Amino acid sequence: MKENHIIDLLENRSFASLNEGERAAIQAHAANCLSCARAYEATRVASSLLRARASETVEPSPFFHTRVMAALRERQNEVPAFKRLWQSAGALVSSMTATVALLAVFSFIIPGTQTAGTAQASASNGYSAEEVILNQNDLQDEQASDAQVLTTLYSADDSGTR
Amino acid sequence: MAQLARAGDESAFAEIVRRYSPRVFRFASKFFRQRSVVEEAAQEVFMKAFTQLGSFEGRGSMEGWLTRITTNTCLNMLRSAKRRPELASADLSDDESTWLENQLSEVAAERHRSSERSFVAADLADRVLENLSSDDRVVLTLIDGEDASVKEVAELTGWSESKVKVQAFRARRRMRAAVEKLLGKQLPPAVAGR
Repeated sequence: MKENHIIDLLENRSFASLNEGERAAIQAHAANCLSCARAYEATRVASSLLRARASETVEPSPFFHTRVMAALRERQNEVPAFKRLWQSAGALVSSMTATVALLAVFSFIIPGTQTAGTAQASASNGYSAEEVILNQNDLQDEQASDAQVLTTLYSADDSGTR
Repeated sequence: MAQLARAGDESAFAEIVRRYSPRVFRFASKFFRQRSVVEEAAQEVFMKAFTQLGSFEGRGSMEGWLTRITTNTCLNMLRSAKRRPELASADLSDDESTWLENQLSEVAAERHRSSERSFVAADLADRVLENLSSDDRVVLTLIDGEDASVKEVAELTGWSESKVKVQAFRARRRMRAAVEKLLGKQLPPAVAGR
């Protein structure tokens, strides 16, 4: 039996499916061929590993079907992804509209009210920024007259004490 | 029962889950060892089964139909899982090394009947299989581990029989190479003299 034939035989079929005659022939060849002996042993061990793995099983827990039914109901009640997207997009659009409206209020309405209010305040005081700047001579007159008043008062005091 | 479930009878579907979950669990546990992963796979199988009930024509058995869904679900889960780096003999635990040594000794067959030994072997098998592709794992598990025929695997996976044969041939070669590497020096020239 040629070396290749042994390896082909080991790779073509599962180890368990080899009959006694085939195994005996492989072993006879492997006795004189180190590489085939290694291949044979490795195949035998691999087969043992796979069979040991196959013998292990997991049984369902007694509550498994309850869990599956609960998961199924949950999935059925889930809002479809498109609907969820539409809902969140709707919320985003309405919040953006509200923001734009607020910005419009702050930009156009409130500044107008402030100008009107300032004008009113200026009117009630009798002074405005323009008046203060333009009528600086009046201010000097006012300051001069205050000085005159003070001089008059002190001179009156002096004359009283004397 | 399938007709009732298809018509929306929830209790009929609950009965399907109750009746077939042991079979689905046993089949999924061929591919996964962790209970939580097996349960996740089984739950996904029944979810798919519920949505695909319309495609179950009742010609074949419900068990066969669910087994096909289980195979595809497990295959998809294996594909999405990352493959581990190649296992070297230095990565083996003492128990695993002992198991391999015993496998090569004359009394291996007698020694390895205990459940403790088979637990070590199943663990080691899992570690070796984790280095292989998902397709390799499926064919090796079903054909070499479960004695399934090429035709059965073709039906379960939806592959052609020739694809199953070629896949099995290559998977055995890769599995053998991985085990040979693990056995390394434990495969003495003496083996050749046996």
